[in-house]
Amino acid sequence: MSRPGRYVGGEFNTRVKAGARHRVVLSYPDVYEIGVSNPALQILYSHINDATPAAAERAYCPWPDMADLMRAARVPLWSLETMTAVSDCDLWGFTLPHELCYTNVLEMLDLAGVPLHAGERGEADPIVLGGGPSVADPWPVAPFFDAFFIGEVEHRLDAIVAALDAPSRAARLQALAAIPGVWVPGSAGGPAERQVFMGFSASPPVLRPVVPVLEAVHDRVVIEVMRGCTAGCRFCQAGMWSRPVRERPVDLVVEAADRLLDETGCDEVSLLSLSSCDYSGIEEALTRIRALRPGLRVSLPSLRIDSAADSLSRFAADQRGSVTLAPEAGTQELRDAINKGVDETQFEDAVRATFSGGFTGLKLYFMIGLPGETDADVLGIARMAGTAARLAKEIARGRARLSVSVSSYVPKAFTPYQLEPFADAATLRQRQRLVREAMPRHVRVAFHDVAASEVEATLARGGPGSDRLVEEAWRRGARFDGWSEHFDARHWQAAAAATGLELGASGHDGASGTPWEAVIDAGLDHDFLAAELERGRRGELTADCRDGACGACGVCGGGIEMEVLG
Amino acid sequence: MTWWLVSFTRSGPARYLSHLDTARVVQRTFARAAVPIALSQGMRPKPRISLPLPLPVGAAGLDELAVVEVPEDAPGPAEALRALRAAAPPGVEPVGIVEAGEAHPRPQAVAAEYACVVDGDAGALAAAVERYGIEETVMYERRSPKGDRTFDLKEYVVAVTAEPLAGGAHIGFTVRHRADGAARSQEFIDLIATWARVEPAMRGLERRCVVWKAMPPAPSAGEEGRVSL
Repeated sequence: MSRPGRYVGGEFNTRVKAGARHRVVLSYPDVYEIGVSNPALQILYSHINDATPAAAERAYCPWPDMADLMRAARVPLWSLETMTAVSDCDLWGFTLPHELCYTNVLEMLDLAGVPLHAGERGEADPIVLGGGPSVADPWPVAPFFDAFFIGEVEHRLDAIVAALDAPSRAARLQALAAIPGVWVPGSAGGPAERQVFMGFSASPPVLRPVVPVLEAVHDRVVIEVMRGCTAGCRFCQAGMWSRPVRERPVDLVVEAADRLLDETGCDEVSLLSLSSCDYSGIEEALTRIRALRPGLRVSLPSLRIDSAADSLSRFAADQRGSVTLAPEAGTQELRDAINKGVDETQFEDAVRATFSGGFTGLKLYFMIGLPGETDADVLGIARMAGTAARLAKEIARGRARLSVSVSSYVPKAFTPYQLEPFADAATLRQRQRLVREAMPRHVRVAFHDVAASEVEATLARGGPGSDRLVEEAWRRGARFDGWSEHFDARHWQAAAAATGLELGASGHDGASGTPWEAVIDAGLDHDFLAAELERGRRGELTADCRDGACGACGVCGGGIEMEVLG
Repeated sequence: MTWWLVSFTRSGPARYLSHLDTARVVQRTFARAAVPIALSQGMRPKPRISLPLPLPVGAAGLDELAVVEVPEDAPGPAEALRALRAAAPPGVEPVGIVEAGEAHPRPQAVAAEYACVVDGDAGALAAAVERYGIEETVMYERRSPKGDRTFDLKEYVVAVTAEPLAGGAHIGFTVRHRADGAARSQEFIDLIATWARVEPAMRGLERRCVVWKAMPPAPSAGEEGRVSL
């Protein structure tokens, strides 16, 4: 078995809460090293343990070698805190980060001995609750969950825990269904409203996070400085789904950084958000956090190209190694169409600033398969990479690495492109060839697996019945589909043939509304999404509403509004 | 600069950590305890900390050692030990600090005493251990990607004992660490299991104590510099 430390807990700040009224298990359906770094799970874990009568424990998806051993020895999935069976808990919450983890949910349910389908569960089984970014379209996993929570859950956690007081499974589900934001598959009533936590700005981040003892993907203090993004990139589900923008005061951020450095022993702070350079307090926060400890590094997970040259000059002292820039598309026309709006001068300035600042690597991130894309747009990717390669040679004189990552665009629910077709596999492979052949020599280019994107596209806009594809693929051996070494397209192709579903197709034309809009109200005005689609087709940019011009997306109102630092 | 020899135990969930992860945990414990570790020189300074004798994954260690260089402004060993104990995760327990001068040589392991339980026929296991004691040489072939090596296990594994238990035997042995290396506990257990015709699966492996060369002498009672619980 590889890395047994994944399965035993024992991390810093783990809570083992004896005598709790209810037992909740929280899961991230991927391997420990990925899941333990997830900030959302840290929020839920801290709040449930520290502020409710319930105990929160954790379980991650066992790696295939461990899963085989567990099945052979008939040992059910256990939680890391108490080493007791997950199936004995009252509530099992999954956060669903992306579509390619869906088979891992089934794997975990099966390993725990919990019936896969909600309808087959009895009084002794836990209530299985789903949440997270992927529930924008819950249909591909709907039958496997008793309920879903749509949106941000912090202010509803107390009510969710209180619902567990009800005397029977049916009564608990009924109590859950009455909580705003909860959708119980098969229940009557209107769409569940996406919840927005308007206490975000005033509340501190998690101050006692679990700190892993194994090496995890992220080993640093993470502070969410801002929630939401209104840059308005038309392809971006996160930007549409997490509106409106809310910012935490700088004092709160700096105090949290100080305390978290003590609490975790980390020597790096990451300021997390969808676009941290847009955080109004970024300059002051960076200055004050750097002053907390000598040699402390502060990193930002994302840089905007239009302000990267300026940002890089300010952050150069903290960044290690390499910089990632995301022009997304290869021509101005297509960048305008997707509302990215970055021009080539800004791109060149950002590349110059990268190499002048002494960074040793630059990674460029592009997508192919965007709506309206032509071969000229695709060739533009290689041309921009060529520009970056020339500047690397001129400025860094061979001391810098340049790499290009090209992924396949997957249209997502609740975006202006939610009804646009997914570019078919043959087209994507032909465009990958175009990029590869036109790419300057010595520039490393990596492509996402088209077959995996095809599966993702199918599940991102699946309707009722798409769960059959997930279950069939899992039964044929699919799991850890987000891992290239485990993804096997044959499982999915066989599952598609067996279920009669077509990979890559959304299976509906939206004429009578979309399946996800039938059950979820994201707060976005349908006309806004349609208007954005049309503006994109005309190549018109839409300004960020935090700059003053309301785009009428429909999210604000009824107590929900932007909270930007004054 | 001063060297500290920090003795600690590794048990419970921490026994499943790898050597590198154990070193990270000790380093993280120092950081959480606000006890500074000296940094190496260079472009990317690294904390000057090492665990000189790796412990197998799955084994508990009752007498582990971390060698840590601390800067001049570090707190005294007594204060540091209190802070380290409060900051350590479940299963890692700092138990003592010996302060060594800058010029003192780094300690080297000479021998380590292990104990474990092997399931199977207790009589057969006891007979296998007795045979090991009688044989003059026991040649063992270690296969690895770096190349195969054949060596006499008896040069490395000594003082073997077996106590019968219900359904198995409690096996004790001492591994000598020589200039040319050491045998692995699993290698010895594999041999015993093969001779006893049982599954080579051991439970509850513990490293109970380690004999060190160049270990600084314990200061006299009450003297600053050595703190233990």
